[in-house]
Amino acid sequence: MTVGAPSADRHFAGLRPATFGTTVLREWQLALPLGLAFAALFLTPLLLLVGVSFFNDEKMTQPGLLSWLTFFGDPFNYKVIGDTLMLGVKTVCTTVLIGYPLALVYLDLSPRLQKILLFIIVMPLLLSVVVRTFAWIVVLGREGVVNSVLMGLGIISEPLKLLQTELGLVISLTQIEMPLMLLPLISVMSRQDPNLRDASAALGASRWRTLFTVILPLSTPGLVAGCLLVFASSTTAFISQTVIGGVRLIYLPLVIWQQSLVVYHWPLAAVASLALVISVLSVIAALSWVGRRSGGYING
Amino acid sequence: MFNRRSLLAGATALGGVSLLPGLAHAKGSLVATTYPGSWEDAYRGVVAPMLKKKEDVDLELAPLFAMDQIGKAKASRGAPPFDVFVLDPGPRIVAIEGGIFDKFDPKKLSNLAKIPDGFADEYGVCVSAQVVGIAYNPKKVPAPKGWTDLLKDPWASRLGLTGFQTTFGTSSIIEISKQFGGSLTNVEPGLAELKKILPKVAAVGLPAAMPGLFQQGQCDVMYTNTQTVSTLKGKGVDIEFVKPESGAIAFYTTMHIAKGTAETVNAYKYLDLVIGKDVQAALTPAPYNFLPVNKDVPLTPDMPMKSLDEMAKYINHDWAKINPLRAAWIDKFNKDMAK
Repeated sequence: MTVGAPSADRHFAGLRPATFGTTVLREWQLALPLGLAFAALFLTPLLLLVGVSFFNDEKMTQPGLLSWLTFFGDPFNYKVIGDTLMLGVKTVCTTVLIGYPLALVYLDLSPRLQKILLFIIVMPLLLSVVVRTFAWIVVLGREGVVNSVLMGLGIISEPLKLLQTELGLVISLTQIEMPLMLLPLISVMSRQDPNLRDASAALGASRWRTLFTVILPLSTPGLVAGCLLVFASSTTAFISQTVIGGVRLIYLPLVIWQQSLVVYHWPLAAVASLALVISVLSVIAALSWVGRRSGGYING
Repeated sequence: MFNRRSLLAGATALGGVSLLPGLAHAKGSLVATTYPGSWEDAYRGVVAPMLKKKEDVDLELAPLFAMDQIGKAKASRGAPPFDVFVLDPGPRIVAIEGGIFDKFDPKKLSNLAKIPDGFADEYGVCVSAQVVGIAYNPKKVPAPKGWTDLLKDPWASRLGLTGFQTTFGTSSIIEISKQFGGSLTNVEPGLAELKKILPKVAAVGLPAAMPGLFQQGQCDVMYTNTQTVSTLKGKGVDIEFVKPESGAIAFYTTMHIAKGTAETVNAYKYLDLVIGKDVQAALTPAPYNFLPVNKDVPLTPDMPMKSLDEMAKYINHDWAKINPLRAAWIDKFNKDMAK
C-alpha cells in the first residue's frame, strides 16, 4: 500500500510489502534498524561476555575453562543460583497473590476510579529505584514505621527484624515489582468481554467457578507476561537485594559485582553473569511455553 | 518549504551555536572521582567552587569507592571515564599494577614544598590522611574500648558489619583478627570470632549502606573512618568515634591522573589547588574534618592526632601483602556470613 493514499484492498495490506515513495520495504527491512541495534547493543556484549568467560586468569592472558570449572566446582555457587531463582519465584507468588485480586477490583471500578488506581499502580515506576529502596529501610528498619506502630500498639515488646531478612526483601520487592505484574494483567483483562461473566452466571456458575473457569484462563497470557517481568526484574535487582537484604543473603548479582568491581576477576564475573542469564532465561522460557500453551487453549 | 540543503545548514548553525557558550567561558572541565559521603559533600561544596573561581575550570565529580573507580577505568580500556582518581593505599597498588595512571611530575605542583617530603611520587600526590576506628551511638551503647568489645554484648547485638570491599572494612577485620592471634595476612581467627556472634549481629551490609543503616538505628556500632563519623554527626546523628586500645588505623589518600586523559593541564591545576592552603584549611574544620597534608594548616583539637608526625604511631598496613589475598578473603566472608 502507498502511504498517504487509502488502500482499496485494506484486508490484504498485511500480505503485501509496504511502499514508501518508489522504495518497496519488506517486513524484514522494516525490522532491520531494531535488529541492528539489538545486535550492536545486546548480542555483541553477550558474545564478549562469553569470550571473556573462557580465560583462566584475571589478566585474561591464558584461554581455558578454569573459570567455568572454578565457579561450577564450588557447591556454594549452586546455593547462590538456587537462592536467586527462589527469590524470583517468591516475589512472583506474592505479586500474583496481591496483584490478581487488585486487577479484578480494577475491572469493576468506574473509569474515573480506574484512572486513580492506575496512577497508584504506576507510581512506584516513577520513583528512582534508589529512593524506593531507601524508603523501605525507613519502613522496615529496627526503628522504622512497622516496628514503631507495632510497639506503639503494644503488639510487640522488642523490634522485629525485618530489614536484612528474606521476608523483608520479598515484601519490598513485591511493592517495587507490582506495576510489572499489574500492567500486563490489566491490559489483557480489560479486553475480556464482560458478557462472558454474565453468561457464566446466567448458566448457574458460582462467582468462584466463573473466576477459575472463565476469567483466569482468559487472563493467563497477561498473568504469564507479568510473571516473566517480575521474575526477571526481581532476580536481577542488585540494589534492593543488597541494601534491603544485606550481604548475608547472597544472590548472583552480588557475586557478579564483587568479582567484576572488587576483585576484578572478569572471567569469573562473566561466568557468574552467564549463569544468571542462563538460569533466568530457562525459567522465562518455561513460563513463555506455558503462556503459548494457554494462548492456544484460549483461542481454541 | 525546507529542502535537505537548508535543513543541513540550519542544523550546522544550531550545532555551532551550541558550542559557543563553551568557547565563550570556562577554560575547560575536569572529571574527578570522589568518595561518596563526606568527601563528595566537601569537594562539591568547597573544592569545585574554588577551582572555578581560581582556574575557571568546571569540576565534575563522580562519587565512587576506590575499587569501583579502578573497575570502571579498566573497563573503559584506554578511554578513561575520569581525569583524576582518588584512592586509598590498597587500590592505589592495584591501579599502579593495572597501568591506569599517567606518569606524575610533582614538580608541576607549585604547592609541593608545602607538603611533607615523600608525599608526592611518580604516581600521584597525598591529599589527606584518614583514620579508621570504631563508631558508636552514645545514647544506645556504652563506649567500646577496643576491637574485642565489638564481639561482646551489648555491642555485638548492635554491631554493623561490612566485608573486605573497602580499605576501612579490610583494615578493621585485620585488626579484629590480630586480637585473636591472626596477622596482616591471616584473618581466619577474626572471621571465626565474627561467625560465632553472627546470629545476633544487627546488620551485615555493603560499605555504602552502612551510614544509612546507622542513621536509621539498624545498628549502633560499626567500624568506619573519621570522615563518616563527622558527616553523620553533622546530620544530627548521635555518633562518636573511638580509637581502639590497640591503636587506630591510619593511611593516606592519594590522587592520580588518568592515563590517556586530555585534561592533564587542568588535572595539575586541580591537584595543586587540593593540596594548597585554601582548600586544606577549608576542609579541616567541621563538618568536613579532613586531616590536612599542607604544613601551613594546623590540625584541629578534636582530631584523633595532634600532627601528621603522629601517623607513624598509628597502625599502617602493607597493602602489597594484603591485595593478593583479598579475593580469597571476600569469598570466605561470603561463605561465612551467608544465611
